[in-house]
Amino acid sequence: MSNRTQIDARGAFCPGPLMEVIATLKLIEIGDEIEVLSTDQGTVKDLPEWCAKVGHEHVETVQHDGYASLVVRKSK
Amino acid sequence: MSNAPLFILLVSPEHEKIQMAAMMASVGAVSERPVTMLVSMNALLSFERDLPAEQAYTGGRLSDVMKDKGVPDAINLLQQGKELGEMEVYACSMALDVLGWETDNLTEGLFDGPLGLTKFLNDAEEGQFVTL
Repeated sequence: MSNRTQIDARGAFCPGPLMEVIATLKLIEIGDEIEVLSTDQGTVKDLPEWCAKVGHEHVETVQHDGYASLVVRKSK
Repeated sequence: MSNAPLFILLVSPEHEKIQMAAMMASVGAVSERPVTMLVSMNALLSFERDLPAEQAYTGGRLSDVMKDKGVPDAINLLQQGKELGEMEVYACSMALDVLGWETDNLTEGLFDGPLGLTKFLNDAEEGQFVTL
């Protein structure tokens, strides 16, 4: 069963949310997930792009009032 | 997708340019693009060891806004990029010579040593080159 770690990066500026996700990916197991909350407008496009580039799975993006929630699954 | 190495020549002491160099270097490094950055000219002065961040840069309106809003410092961002990705940061040997500095005069733990322009340019033939 996979675990999910939440990162509240609301208020952090680019590339802060991405860097926090990458640092956390090094600490979790393959198949585990990270949910990052971000107010940075770039993260919504940047994080899925980064996942596609390096081979992790972007599971979903949910837009909330004033921030987005993005889920990444560690794939390697 | 391409993993072409990224070569960044940083010569400006402007906060906005150093911030952008740090952003490009750190994001490139964690995106499986090897990054080599050469710091020269007045930019090197911003990396003097133990220099407080508020004294390290020149800058304009965006610099003031970034400081007010607590945008992570460029030097911290570079150190994070080095920890999480493949990044080398070098000090221009000519600039070190004219300042009478050694690598020990620069931000602790960030620089991989001095480097000449010839070696940097030769290596950069294999990648993308950005000057700030």
